[in-house]
Amino acid sequence: MPYAAGAEGQPDVSGRIRVRRHRTHQDGDRRAGYLMLLPSAVVVAGVTVFPILYSVWMSFHDVHLTVNGYDMRFTGLANYGTLVHSSAFWHSAWFTTYYAVVTVFAELILGMLIALAIYRVQRLKNLSLVVMLIPWSLITVVSAQMWSYIYNGVYGVLNAILQALHLIQAPVTWPGTSTGAVLSMMVADIWKTTPFVVIILLGGLQMIPAEYHEAAVMDGAGPWTVFWKVTFPLLRSSIALAAVFRILQAFGVFDLPFVLTGGGPGNATTSLAVLGEQALFQNLHFGVGAAVAVSTVLMVLTLSLIFLSAFRALVEEGA
Amino acid sequence: MKPVLALVSSAAAAGMLLAGCGSAQTTANTPGNSTNANPAGSIDLSHASGTVVWAAPPITHTGLRKALIDAFEKSHPNIHVELQDQNSDTDTNRASLTTTIGGGSATPDVYLADVIWPAQFANAQLALPLDDKLPKDFWDRFSDGLVEGATYQGHIYAAPFFADTAFLFYRKDLLEKANLPVPTSWEQVEQEAKTLQQKGLVKYGFVWQGASYEGLTCDFTEFLADAGGRVLDDSGKPVLDSDAAKKALSFLRDLVQSGVSPKSEVTFKENDTMDAFNQGDAAFLRNWTYAWNNSQTPGQSKVVGKVGVVALPTFGGSEGYSCVGGWDLMVNPHTKNLAAALAFVDWMTGPDAQSILAKRFGEIPTNKQVAQDPSLAQLSPVFSVIPKVKFVPRPAQTPNYPQVSQAIYTNVNQALTGSVSVDDALKKAQQQVQSAVSGSGL
Repeated sequence: MPYAAGAEGQPDVSGRIRVRRHRTHQDGDRRAGYLMLLPSAVVVAGVTVFPILYSVWMSFHDVHLTVNGYDMRFTGLANYGTLVHSSAFWHSAWFTTYYAVVTVFAELILGMLIALAIYRVQRLKNLSLVVMLIPWSLITVVSAQMWSYIYNGVYGVLNAILQALHLIQAPVTWPGTSTGAVLSMMVADIWKTTPFVVIILLGGLQMIPAEYHEAAVMDGAGPWTVFWKVTFPLLRSSIALAAVFRILQAFGVFDLPFVLTGGGPGNATTSLAVLGEQALFQNLHFGVGAAVAVSTVLMVLTLSLIFLSAFRALVEEGA
Repeated sequence: MKPVLALVSSAAAAGMLLAGCGSAQTTANTPGNSTNANPAGSIDLSHASGTVVWAAPPITHTGLRKALIDAFEKSHPNIHVELQDQNSDTDTNRASLTTTIGGGSATPDVYLADVIWPAQFANAQLALPLDDKLPKDFWDRFSDGLVEGATYQGHIYAAPFFADTAFLFYRKDLLEKANLPVPTSWEQVEQEAKTLQQKGLVKYGFVWQGASYEGLTCDFTEFLADAGGRVLDDSGKPVLDSDAAKKALSFLRDLVQSGVSPKSEVTFKENDTMDAFNQGDAAFLRNWTYAWNNSQTPGQSKVVGKVGVVALPTFGGSEGYSCVGGWDLMVNPHTKNLAAALAFVDWMTGPDAQSILAKRFGEIPTNKQVAQDPSLAQLSPVFSVIPKVKFVPRPAQTPNYPQVSQAIYTNVNQALTGSVSVDDALKKAQQQVQSAVSGSGL
C-alpha cells in the first residue's frame, strides 16, 4: 500500500513506465495473494458466517426434521413471539445476564489484583504464571466434574473441610438450592477464568514504560494516585479486551451448568445456552432454539456495547 | 392409565417359534422407502454381511454389550459389530443421536433407544419404520403390550430389547436387627426408615432419583399413580393440579425435608442412589432391575447377601405402580447396510441374546419365550416379583414428550429443594405441560 502511494507521486515519464510495470506486477501479486487466501476464507466463512446466517434464517421458520433434512415453513416472528411469552426464556435471560455481570466483574477485580502482585514480585513470576495457567488450561467439562466432586453433599471435600473447621454441623449439598447452585457455578467460573484476565492485564502492565511511574512518583504521587492516574488509564485497552472476551464467553456459558448442575435445581441455573440446547437437541424445536441463539447474540452485543461506553466514560472521567 | 403389561404372562402361546427372518422371500434394498403395500418381511437377511455400528450406552454398567456382540459375531461370522459407546445420561445420549442421525449420518446403523423415544423419533423421522421391513410374525415374539409402546401412528419404529421397571430394594440385615417387617406401604417405608436412622443403624433412610432430569419424572409418575393421579387425562389434558398430585409431591418433599431422604436427594441420579446403597449408607432404594445384580457384585458393593427386593408399595397398601422403562432397538433410516442391521435386530431379540440378557445379566427379556422360562425365578428374585408389579407408563405418546417431562421434573425438583411450595410447583408444571402438549412454548 505505501509503496503504491509513493509510486503515484513519481513525475518522471520513464520512471512512470517502470513504476507502472512494477505496479502491475504488484497488483498481480496482490491478486494472487487474495486468490491464495480464498480457500481458507471459504472454509472460515463455511464454518462461521454460514451457520450464523443459517440460524438467523432458521429462527424465522417452523422447522421440522425429516429423513431428507429440514422441512422449513416461514413463520415470520412467531418463534420470537414464543420466547417473549415464555417465562423460562426470561428466567434464563436474567440468570445469564447477572451471571455474566457478576463473574466478569469479580474476575476483573481479582485479575487486576493478581496481575499487579505478579508484576511487583517479579521473582516468582514464571512459577505463578504456570500455576495460574493450570485452571485456565483445564477443559471446562473436566473442571466442572471436579467441582461437582468438591461440592458433593455425600462425599464432597468442601464439606469435609468445613466440618473439620467446625464451620458447619451437617454436610451441605451445595448445588442443591438455587442460591447454592448459582454461587457454586460462579466460584468455579471465577476460579477457572481469572487467570485469563491476569495474563492479559499482565501483558498490558509490561507495556507501560517504567519512566511514567518514576515520573509520577517524582512528582509526589502516592501508590493510589499512580494507579488511578497512570496505570489504570494506560491499561484501559487491556481491560476492555479482557472484559469483552469474558462477557462473550460468560454469556454463552454451557458446559459448566450442563455438567455441574444440569441447569437445576428446577431451572435455577438454566443459562440461555442450556435452554437453547434443550430446545434444539432434546425437544427438536429447531426454530425456537435458533431464536434463543439469535436473541442471545443480540443481548451479548448490547451488553458489550453498554460496557464499552460505560468504561470509556469512566476512564475519561478518571484521566 | 391401566396398561398392566403382562411382561411375564403366565399362559399365552408357549409354542412361539422364532420367526425365521432368514427365510424371507423378496428383496428390496432401498432403505427408507415405506410403500405400505409391501409384503411383510421383504428383506433377505440370509446373506447379510459387512459391518453394523451399534450405538449403546453402558446401561447396566456390566459386560452386557460385549457379551452380546461376541455371541452375535460367533453366530454370524460374516457380520462385524462395532460398538459406539454412548453417554449413560439418557438425555445426553439422545442429543448425540438426534444430531448425528438428523445430520444424515449413515452410522450408527442400529441404536439403543429409550422406551419414551418412539413418538418423538418417529415424528422427526430419526428411526426407520420396521413394520414393513420385518415379517409380520416377527412381532409375535414379544411379551404383550411392548410392541404397542414402540408404535406411533400405525407404524412400528422399534424392536423391544429389554424391559425395565422399578423395585423397592431393602436391607434385610438392618430390618432383622431392628425387628422390623418388610414394609407394605409408603407410610411404613418412611416410618421404618426413620426408626433405622434413629437407632443409628444407617445414614440415609430411603434413596430415590430426585435430580432435575428424566429419572425424576419416572419416580414422580409412580407416586402420582399411587395417589390416584395422572399427568394427562383421557382427552390429553394435563391434570397436575389435582389433590392426588399434591399428595404425591408433599410426600416426596417431606421425605427430603424430614431427613428420611438426604438433602442431596435433589441431585441424585440412578448412580448416586446406587452408590449410597452399595456403600451401605441407605436402608431403602427405589431403582431399576439392574440394581439387583449391581448390589450383589462383590468388589463394587458392600451389601452382597444383605439385600431383599419387593414390588414398589403404594400409599396405604402394598400394590404400587412401577414406571415402564427399558430399551428398544431402532434402525437409522440412513443406514447403508439394512440387511445386516435387521439381522442384528432379529438376533438381539431372539432366544439366544435374550437368554444371555436374562440369565447372565438379570435384565427382563422382551422375548416372550425367554420371559416364560421358569428357571429365571431362581436366578434373580427380581423375576419372581415381576408378576406382582403394576405398570404405569409415562405420557410419551406425544412427540413433545421431552418438554412435558421437563415441565414435570424441573418443577417437582424445585419443590423438593424446599424453595417453592407444592401448590406453586404443581400450578407451574400444569401450565408448562399444557403449553408443551399444545406444541407451543419453550
